[in-house]
Amino acid sequence: MADLKFNIDKPDLPDEQINKHKDFKKLMYNYQTATNPLYKTPLYKNRKVYLVILIILLVMYVIIEVFEKDEQQQKKPSPQEQTK
Amino acid sequence: MNAHHKTDTDIQLELQQIEAAKLNPARFDVLYEKYYKPIFVFVYRRTENEDLCADITSMVFLKALVNIKKYQFKGVPFSAWLFRIAFNEINMYFRKNKAERIVRLDRTNLHQIVQEVELESNSEAEQKMMLALKKLDNDDIQLIEFRFFEKRSFAEIGGIIGITENNAKVKVYRILDKLRTLMNSKNSG
Repeated sequence: MADLKFNIDKPDLPDEQINKHKDFKKLMYNYQTATNPLYKTPLYKNRKVYLVILIILLVMYVIIEVFEKDEQQQKKPSPQEQTK
Repeated sequence: MNAHHKTDTDIQLELQQIEAAKLNPARFDVLYEKYYKPIFVFVYRRTENEDLCADITSMVFLKALVNIKKYQFKGVPFSAWLFRIAFNEINMYFRKNKAERIVRLDRTNLHQIVQEVELESNSEAEQKMMLALKKLDNDDIQLIEFRFFEKRSFAEIGGIIGITENNAKVKVYRILDKLRTLMNSKNSG
Protein backbone atom coordinates (compact mmCIF):
# COMPACT_ATOMS: atom_id res chain seq x y z
CA MET A 1 0.00 0.00 0.00
CA ALA A 2 1.35 3.41 -0.95
CA ASP A 3 1.99 6.07 1.66
CA LEU A 4 -0.73 8.53 0.71
CA LYS A 5 -2.28 11.51 2.44
CA PHE A 6 -5.68 12.72 1.26
CA ASN A 7 -6.49 16.43 1.29
CA ILE A 8 -9.90 17.73 0.37
CA ASP A 9 -10.71 21.08 -1.26
CA LYS A 10 -7.31 22.67 -0.70
CA PRO A 11 -6.71 25.69 -2.91
CA ASP A 12 -3.84 25.93 -5.41
CA LEU A 13 -1.10 28.50 -4.92
CA PRO A 14 -1.81 31.97 -6.34
CA ASP A 15 -0.16 32.83 -9.68
CA GLU A 16 2.22 35.40 -8.12
CA GLN A 17 3.56 32.73 -5.79
CA ILE A 18 4.10 30.33 -8.70
CA ASN A 19 5.72 32.96 -10.93
CA LYS A 20 8.18 33.80 -8.14
CA HIS A 21 9.95 30.51 -8.93
CA LYS A 22 9.94 30.96 -12.71
CA ASP A 23 13.46 31.69 -13.92
CA PHE A 24 14.38 30.92 -17.51
CA LYS A 25 17.92 32.34 -17.12
CA LYS A 26 18.61 29.86 -14.32
CA LEU A 27 17.25 27.06 -16.48
CA MET A 28 19.60 28.07 -19.31
CA TYR A 29 22.54 28.24 -16.88
CA ASN A 30 21.70 24.75 -15.55
CA TYR A 31 21.34 23.53 -19.13
CA GLN A 32 24.78 24.88 -20.07
CA THR A 33 26.30 23.25 -16.99
CA ALA A 34 24.54 19.96 -17.68
CA THR A 35 25.45 19.80 -21.36
CA ASN A 36 28.97 21.29 -21.37
CA PRO A 37 31.50 18.75 -20.15
CA LEU A 38 33.80 19.98 -17.39
CA TYR A 39 36.92 19.74 -19.53
CA LYS A 40 35.39 22.13 -22.07
CA THR A 41 34.69 24.81 -19.46
CA PRO A 42 37.56 27.27 -18.98
CA LEU A 43 38.97 27.07 -15.48
CA TYR A 44 38.38 30.74 -14.72
CA LYS A 45 34.66 30.25 -15.41
CA ASN A 46 34.30 27.44 -12.91
CA ARG A 47 35.03 28.84 -9.46
CA LYS A 48 34.40 25.56 -7.62
CA VAL A 49 36.90 23.57 -9.67
CA TYR A 50 39.33 26.47 -9.45
CA LEU A 51 39.08 26.48 -5.64
CA VAL A 52 39.41 22.70 -5.36
CA ILE A 53 42.56 22.72 -7.50
CA LEU A 54 43.98 25.60 -5.45
CA ILE A 55 43.34 23.72 -2.20
CA ILE A 56 44.93 20.53 -3.59
CA LEU A 57 48.02 22.50 -4.67
CA LEU A 58 48.27 24.16 -1.25
CA VAL A 59 48.00 20.84 0.58
CA MET A 60 50.64 19.32 -1.73
CA TYR A 61 52.94 22.29 -1.09
CA VAL A 62 52.57 21.94 2.70
CA ILE A 63 53.24 18.16 2.55
CA ILE A 64 56.36 18.66 0.39
CA GLU A 65 57.64 21.39 2.74
CA VAL A 66 57.17 19.14 5.78
CA PHE A 67 58.98 16.24 4.05
CA GLU A 68 61.85 18.48 2.99
CA LYS A 69 62.27 19.80 6.56
CA ASP A 70 62.29 16.25 7.88
CA GLU A 71 64.91 15.20 5.35
CA GLN A 72 67.11 18.19 6.17
CA GLN A 73 66.91 17.43 9.85
CA GLN A 74 67.87 13.81 9.22
CA LYS A 75 70.85 14.84 7.09
CA LYS A 76 72.17 17.27 9.71
CA PRO A 77 74.67 15.51 12.03
CA SER A 78 73.55 15.33 15.63
CA PRO A 79 75.50 17.47 18.20
CA GLN A 80 77.08 14.27 19.66
CA GLU A 81 78.37 13.27 16.20
CA GLN A 82 79.77 16.78 15.71
CA THR A 83 81.81 16.65 18.97
CA LYS A 84 83.37 13.31 17.95
CA MET B 1 -13.19 20.63 -24.61
CA ASN B 2 -11.11 21.37 -21.53
CA ALA B 3 -7.72 22.94 -20.90
CA HIS B 4 -5.95 19.64 -21.58
CA HIS B 5 -7.37 19.19 -25.09
CA LYS B 6 -5.63 20.80 -28.06
CA THR B 7 -6.71 21.59 -31.60
CA ASP B 8 -4.61 20.51 -34.61
CA THR B 9 -3.55 24.13 -35.15
CA ASP B 10 -2.31 24.36 -31.56
CA ILE B 11 -0.36 21.12 -32.00
CA GLN B 12 1.17 22.29 -35.30
CA LEU B 13 2.20 25.64 -33.81
CA GLU B 14 3.70 23.85 -30.85
CA LEU B 15 5.62 21.49 -33.11
CA GLN B 16 7.21 24.52 -34.79
CA GLN B 17 8.18 25.87 -31.37
CA ILE B 18 9.70 22.51 -30.45
CA GLU B 19 11.69 22.34 -33.69
CA ALA B 20 12.97 25.87 -33.03
CA ALA B 21 14.02 24.85 -29.49
CA LYS B 22 15.81 21.78 -30.88
CA LEU B 23 17.97 24.07 -33.03
CA ASN B 24 18.40 26.79 -30.42
CA PRO B 25 17.79 25.99 -26.72
CA ALA B 26 17.14 29.70 -26.01
CA ARG B 27 13.94 29.35 -28.05
CA PHE B 28 12.63 26.97 -25.40
CA ASP B 29 11.46 30.09 -23.51
CA VAL B 30 8.06 30.04 -25.27
CA LEU B 31 7.37 26.49 -24.12
CA TYR B 32 8.74 27.27 -20.66
CA GLU B 33 6.39 30.25 -20.31
CA LYS B 34 3.46 28.22 -21.56
CA TYR B 35 3.89 25.17 -19.37
CA TYR B 36 5.57 26.44 -16.22
CA LYS B 37 2.32 26.97 -14.33
CA PRO B 38 0.58 23.70 -15.38
CA ILE B 39 3.65 21.67 -14.43
CA PHE B 40 4.10 23.57 -11.15
CA VAL B 41 0.44 23.01 -10.23
CA PHE B 42 0.70 19.33 -11.23
CA VAL B 43 3.69 18.85 -8.92
CA TYR B 44 2.29 21.03 -6.13
CA ARG B 45 -0.93 19.04 -5.94
CA ARG B 46 1.14 15.95 -5.21
CA THR B 47 3.68 17.45 -2.84
CA GLU B 48 2.09 20.53 -1.20
CA ASN B 49 5.55 21.83 -0.47
CA GLU B 50 6.39 24.99 -2.38
CA ASP B 51 10.19 24.72 -2.32
CA LEU B 52 10.21 21.03 -3.14
CA CYS B 53 7.72 21.70 -5.91
CA ALA B 54 9.92 24.48 -7.35
CA ASP B 55 12.94 22.12 -7.31
CA ILE B 56 11.07 19.29 -9.01
CA THR B 57 9.60 21.70 -11.59
CA SER B 58 13.10 23.04 -12.40
CA MET B 59 14.35 19.50 -12.84
CA VAL B 60 11.43 18.68 -15.14
CA PHE B 61 12.24 21.60 -17.46
CA LEU B 62 15.95 20.90 -17.35
CA LYS B 63 15.39 17.27 -18.34
CA ALA B 64 12.95 18.37 -21.03
CA LEU B 65 15.46 20.83 -22.49
CA VAL B 66 18.36 18.39 -22.34
CA ASN B 67 16.26 15.70 -24.07
CA ILE B 68 14.21 17.85 -26.42
CA LYS B 69 16.10 16.53 -29.47
CA LYS B 70 14.74 13.08 -28.67
CA TYR B 71 11.14 14.30 -28.61
CA GLN B 72 9.09 13.09 -31.55
CA PHE B 73 5.43 13.77 -32.07
CA LYS B 74 3.54 10.47 -31.99
CA GLY B 75 0.01 11.77 -31.60
CA VAL B 76 0.51 12.76 -27.98
CA PRO B 77 0.95 16.51 -27.35
CA PHE B 78 4.17 17.95 -25.97
CA SER B 79 2.38 18.74 -22.69
CA ALA B 80 1.86 14.99 -22.09
CA TRP B 81 5.59 14.46 -22.60
CA LEU B 82 6.31 17.16 -20.00
CA PHE B 83 3.75 15.73 -17.58
CA ARG B 84 5.34 12.33 -18.08
CA ILE B 85 8.72 13.71 -17.02
CA ALA B 86 7.05 15.41 -14.04
CA PHE B 87 5.19 12.19 -13.15
CA ASN B 88 8.47 10.22 -13.19
CA GLU B 89 10.29 12.89 -11.17
CA ILE B 90 7.57 12.92 -8.51
CA ASN B 91 7.52 9.12 -8.28
CA MET B 92 11.31 9.04 -8.11
CA TYR B 93 11.30 11.61 -5.27
CA PHE B 94 8.76 9.69 -3.21
CA ARG B 95 10.47 6.36 -3.83
CA LYS B 96 13.84 7.78 -2.83
CA ASN B 97 12.69 9.72 0.23
CA LYS B 98 9.89 7.42 1.37
CA ALA B 99 7.80 10.53 2.03
CA GLU B 100 4.02 10.74 2.17
CA ARG B 101 2.48 11.62 -1.19
CA ILE B 102 -0.45 13.99 -1.27
CA VAL B 103 -3.66 13.13 -3.06
CA ARG B 104 -5.67 16.27 -3.67
CA LEU B 105 -9.42 15.70 -3.91
CA ASP B 106 -12.32 18.05 -4.26
CA ARG B 107 -15.90 17.40 -3.35
CA THR B 108 -17.34 18.21 -6.79
CA ASN B 109 -15.20 15.57 -8.45
CA LEU B 110 -15.69 13.11 -5.62
CA HIS B 111 -19.41 13.46 -6.25
CA GLN B 112 -18.75 12.69 -9.94
CA ILE B 113 -16.86 9.46 -9.19
CA VAL B 114 -19.68 8.35 -6.91
CA GLN B 115 -22.09 8.88 -9.81
CA GLU B 116 -19.69 7.09 -12.16
CA VAL B 117 -19.88 3.94 -10.06
CA GLU B 118 -23.66 4.22 -10.43
CA LEU B 119 -24.52 5.05 -6.88
CA GLU B 120 -26.75 7.73 -5.55
CA SER B 121 -24.50 10.56 -4.51
CA ASN B 122 -25.05 11.62 -0.94
CA SER B 123 -22.76 12.39 1.97
CA GLU B 124 -22.76 8.77 3.14
CA ALA B 125 -21.80 7.51 -0.35
CA GLU B 126 -19.07 10.16 -0.54
CA GLN B 127 -17.71 9.03 2.82
CA LYS B 128 -17.68 5.44 1.59
CA MET B 129 -15.95 6.56 -1.61
CA MET B 130 -13.26 8.35 0.42
CA LEU B 131 -12.61 5.18 2.39
CA ALA B 132 -12.56 3.11 -0.80
CA LEU B 133 -10.10 5.54 -2.45
CA LYS B 134 -7.80 5.20 0.55
CA LYS B 135 -7.66 1.47 -0.07
CA LEU B 136 -6.40 1.84 -3.64
CA ASP B 137 -2.71 1.47 -4.38
CA ASN B 138 -0.57 4.32 -5.69
CA ASP B 139 -0.84 3.34 -9.38
CA ASP B 140 -4.63 3.16 -9.24
CA ILE B 141 -5.04 6.40 -7.34
CA GLN B 142 -2.83 8.17 -9.89
CA LEU B 143 -5.15 7.13 -12.70
CA ILE B 144 -8.18 8.33 -10.73
CA GLU B 145 -6.44 11.66 -10.10
CA PHE B 146 -5.67 12.10 -13.80
CA ARG B 147 -9.13 11.21 -14.99
CA PHE B 148 -11.47 12.62 -12.37
CA PHE B 149 -9.59 15.30 -10.46
CA GLU B 150 -7.56 16.73 -13.34
CA LYS B 151 -10.05 15.92 -16.12
CA ARG B 152 -7.49 14.51 -18.54
CA SER B 153 -8.41 12.61 -21.68
CA PHE B 154 -7.57 8.91 -21.93
CA ALA B 155 -5.10 9.73 -24.72
CA GLU B 156 -3.27 12.15 -22.44
CA ILE B 157 -3.30 9.74 -19.50
CA GLY B 158 -1.83 7.10 -21.81
CA GLY B 159 0.82 9.56 -22.95
CA ILE B 160 1.77 10.42 -19.38
CA ILE B 161 2.07 6.92 -18.00
CA GLY B 162 3.30 5.34 -21.22
CA ILE B 163 0.36 3.13 -22.20
CA THR B 164 -2.13 3.25 -25.07
CA GLU B 165 -5.35 5.25 -24.92
CA ASN B 166 -7.40 2.04 -24.88
CA ASN B 167 -5.30 0.55 -22.15
CA ALA B 168 -5.79 3.71 -20.06
CA LYS B 169 -9.54 3.46 -20.58
CA VAL B 170 -9.62 -0.22 -19.57
CA LYS B 171 -7.52 0.44 -16.48
CA VAL B 172 -9.72 3.34 -15.33
CA TYR B 173 -12.89 1.27 -15.71
CA ARG B 174 -11.30 -1.62 -13.82
CA ILE B 175 -10.45 0.74 -10.99
CA LEU B 176 -14.03 2.01 -10.97
CA ASP B 177 -15.17 -1.61 -10.66
CA LYS B 178 -12.72 -2.08 -7.82
CA LEU B 179 -14.10 1.04 -6.12
CA ARG B 180 -17.65 -0.23 -6.55
CA THR B 181 -16.68 -3.52 -4.89
CA LEU B 182 -14.84 -1.75 -2.08
CA MET B 183 -17.79 0.54 -1.44
CA ASN B 184 -20.21 -2.36 -1.30
CA SER B 185 -18.03 -4.54 0.88
CA LYS B 186 -19.00 -4.86 4.54
CA ASN B 187 -15.75 -3.33 5.72
CA SER B 188 -16.13 -0.19 3.62
CA GLY B 189 -17.82 1.83 6.35
